[in-house]
Amino acid sequence: MAGSISRRKIFEAINGYLFISPWLIIFTIFSIVSLLYAVYLSFTSYNLLKPPQFWGLEGYRRVFQEELFLKKALPNTFKYVLIVVPIQTALSLVLAFAMDQKLRFRRLFRTVFYLPSVTSSVVISLIFIWIFAPQGIFNQIMGLSVNWLDDPRTAFYVIMGMNIFTTSGTLMLIFLAGLQDISPNIYEAAQIDGANGAQTFFYITIPMLRPVIFFVVTVGVIGCFQVFDQIFVMTAGGPLDSTTTITYLIYKWAFRDTTIKMGQASALAVVLTLIILAVTVFQRRIIEGSGSTAER
Amino acid sequence: MKSLFKLMSVLLAVTMLLAACGTPATPEKVVETVKETVTVKETQIVEVPAQQTVVRLSGWASSPSETALLQSLLYQFSVENPDILVKYEPITGDYKQALLTSIASGTEPDIYYVDIFWWLELATNDVLLPLDDLMSASGVKREDFIPSLVDAFTYNGKLYGIAKDFNTLGMFYNKELFDKAGLDYPTDDWTWDDLKAAAAKLTDLSDPNKPVYGFCTPPDPGRFPVFVFQNGGTVMTPDFQDTTLDSEAAIGAAEFYTSFRAEKIGAIPSDLGEGWQGTLFGKGQCAMVYEGGWLIPYLRDQFPGTKYGVVMPPAGPAGEGNLIFTVAWGISANTKNPEAAWKVVNFLTSEASQKTVLESGFALPSRKSLQNSDFLKNNPNSAAIFNGSFNGAQPFFWGAVGSDVNDQMGKALERIFKENQPVADAMKQAAEAIRKAIK
Repeated sequence: MAGSISRRKIFEAINGYLFISPWLIIFTIFSIVSLLYAVYLSFTSYNLLKPPQFWGLEGYRRVFQEELFLKKALPNTFKYVLIVVPIQTALSLVLAFAMDQKLRFRRLFRTVFYLPSVTSSVVISLIFIWIFAPQGIFNQIMGLSVNWLDDPRTAFYVIMGMNIFTTSGTLMLIFLAGLQDISPNIYEAAQIDGANGAQTFFYITIPMLRPVIFFVVTVGVIGCFQVFDQIFVMTAGGPLDSTTTITYLIYKWAFRDTTIKMGQASALAVVLTLIILAVTVFQRRIIEGSGSTAER
Repeated sequence: MKSLFKLMSVLLAVTMLLAACGTPATPEKVVETVKETVTVKETQIVEVPAQQTVVRLSGWASSPSETALLQSLLYQFSVENPDILVKYEPITGDYKQALLTSIASGTEPDIYYVDIFWWLELATNDVLLPLDDLMSASGVKREDFIPSLVDAFTYNGKLYGIAKDFNTLGMFYNKELFDKAGLDYPTDDWTWDDLKAAAAKLTDLSDPNKPVYGFCTPPDPGRFPVFVFQNGGTVMTPDFQDTTLDSEAAIGAAEFYTSFRAEKIGAIPSDLGEGWQGTLFGKGQCAMVYEGGWLIPYLRDQFPGTKYGVVMPPAGPAGEGNLIFTVAWGISANTKNPEAAWKVVNFLTSEASQKTVLESGFALPSRKSLQNSDFLKNNPNSAAIFNGSFNGAQPFFWGAVGSDVNDQMGKALERIFKENQPVADAMKQAAEAIRKAIK
C-alpha cells in the first residue's frame, strides 16, 4: 500500500516536472546560467577578445570611481523611480476606481486605457519622438518651440511621462481585479453604517487593496530601476548624459565603448541587483509594517 | 548527386551596372552626369569540384544596392574560383557588437569588415591576421594602395587590413540657394572667411516653418576635427597617450565652429528637428554641409531634384585639413583557410573590382592607379571627396579610448550649443575626462 502511494507520488512529480520543463529549461539556460556567469564576470577583466582574467574587486572599485555612475546614472535612476512609481500607481488606482463604476462605454474606456500597454515600447518611443520633435504635434498645439528630447532639462521628463502613460494601463488592470475581489457585502455594511463615498474609499477600498498595492509598487519599482529600451531608442543616454540610467550605462560599457569593459559592466549589473533587492526588502517592511491585512 | 561532379546553377545573380557618361552641353555649363541603373540577370553553369573550401565573409549591410554590388562581385569570384565557396553573411543592426560576440565565442567569419575607428583593438589582441606574407606570396605590393590608407591599418610594421574603400569630407553646397543669394559657387581655394561670409548671406529665416541656414554645424566628432586640423591642432598626441583638445588651436577651432550658430547663420540638425544634416541639405534648409561621399547616393535616391556641388573643405589659418573614414577587409587569425580567404580579399581589392565599386558611386577606391580614371574626371563631386585624401587628411582614429574621445568631443560641443558653456571651459572639461579614461 505504502509502496503504491509513493510510486504514484513519483509519477505525479515526474508529470509535474514534464509540464513545467519547457519553461524550466529555457529559464535555466537564459536566466540562471547567464546570471551566474555575469556574477563570475564581475570579478574579471574581459574585453570579449581575450579570455576573462580574474582581477577580484577591481571592477567594483572602478564602478564606484566612475563619475558617470556616481553623478549621472545613479541619481538619474533614483529620480526616475521616485517620480514615476508614485504617479503611475496613483494614476492607475484612480483609473481602476473609475472603471469599476457603472459608467457608460466602460468597456471601451478599459480597452483604450490598456492599449498602450500592449503596444511595443519601441513603437511608442518612436511615436513620442515625433510628438515631441521641434515641429511636432505637442509644440504645434501648445504654441511652443522647445526641443524636448534634445534639451538636457526636459528629455528625461518626456521619457518619464511616456513610461507612466504606457504602464498605468497594465497596473489599472491589476487594481481592477483587486477591486472586484472586494466583497460587495462590506460596502453594503458600510453604507448601512452611514459611511460616505470618501470614507468608503479610504477606509475600505485602500486597506482591502493593500496586497495589490504592494504588488503594483514592487513591480513598478523593479521595472523603473531597469528602464532601458525607451532610453535606448529615444535619447541613447543623451543629451549630455541627462537620461543615462544604470541599465544604459551597463549597456554602454559592455557594448558601446571602443575598449569593451564587460567585467566592469557585470559588476555594475550586480550592484544594480543588490540595490533593487535592498529597496524591495525595505518597501515590504514599510507596507507590511503599517498594519498588514491579508497575506499575498 | 550521383554524378561525380555537382552541377551548381546559380539561378539569379544581380549585377549592377552603373554606366556614366559625361555630356558637356554648352561650354559655360558644368558637366552633367547621367546615371542609369541596369539590372542584368545571368545564369552560368560552372563545374564545381567535390571538395570546396568554404570561406565565410561578413560585413554590415548599409544599403540594398551596396549589398547587391558586393554580391555581384562575389558571384564573379565564384565563377573564376569554383573551388572556393564564399558564404556571404551580412550583419544587420549593431555590427561591432555582433562581430565581437562571435569572436568571443570563436565563431567569427573568416573575412570581415574592420572599421578604422576600432580595428587596432582587434590587432593588439591578436584576433586579426597580419597580411604581409600572403601579400608578398601573391605579388601584391603595399605601394599599389593610397599611402594614408596603408598607414591607417599598419601596426608594429605589419599590415592588418586592405582598405576596401574610403571617404573624406567634402563641402556640399546647394546651387539653387547660392543662385538665390546671388553668390558665386565655392571653389577649392575658399578659406574660413569665405565660408563665414557666404553662410551669413545664405541664411534666410523669413519663413518660420522652413528656415534656411547658411552652414550646419552638428555637435559631431566626425566633423569638428577637420576645423582643429585646419587650425594647426590635433585631437590626440601622436602616441595616443594624451589628448590635445585643450590646446589653443583646438579651442580656436571650437570657437569658430560654434560661432555660426551663435550668430544665427548656422544651426545644429536637432534645431530643425532632424538627426542628420544630410536630410536638411536635401530639404534645402542647410545651404552648406560637410559630409562624405555617402551623401551622393542618398541625395540621388531621396532628393533627386537637388542641384548641388562638392568642393574640398575651405582651408583654415593653418591650411588644409580633412578626415579619412575607411573600412578594410580583415582576415581572422583563427581562420582555417588563410590562403583561400586572402584570395577573396585580393579579388575584392583588385583593380577590376575597385573600378566597379568606384563607378557605382558608393565609395572611393583604395588603389592608387584609379586616381586618374575617367570616372573621377567626369564626376567632379566624387573627385573632390577623393582628392580630399591628399590635403591634410588624417584617419578618423583616436586610439584605445576612441569612443570616449568622440563622446567628450560631442558633449563639449553640446554644452557650448545648449548650455552656453564658455568654449575654453568646455574643451578643458572634455580633455580632462579623456585623460581620466586613458588612465
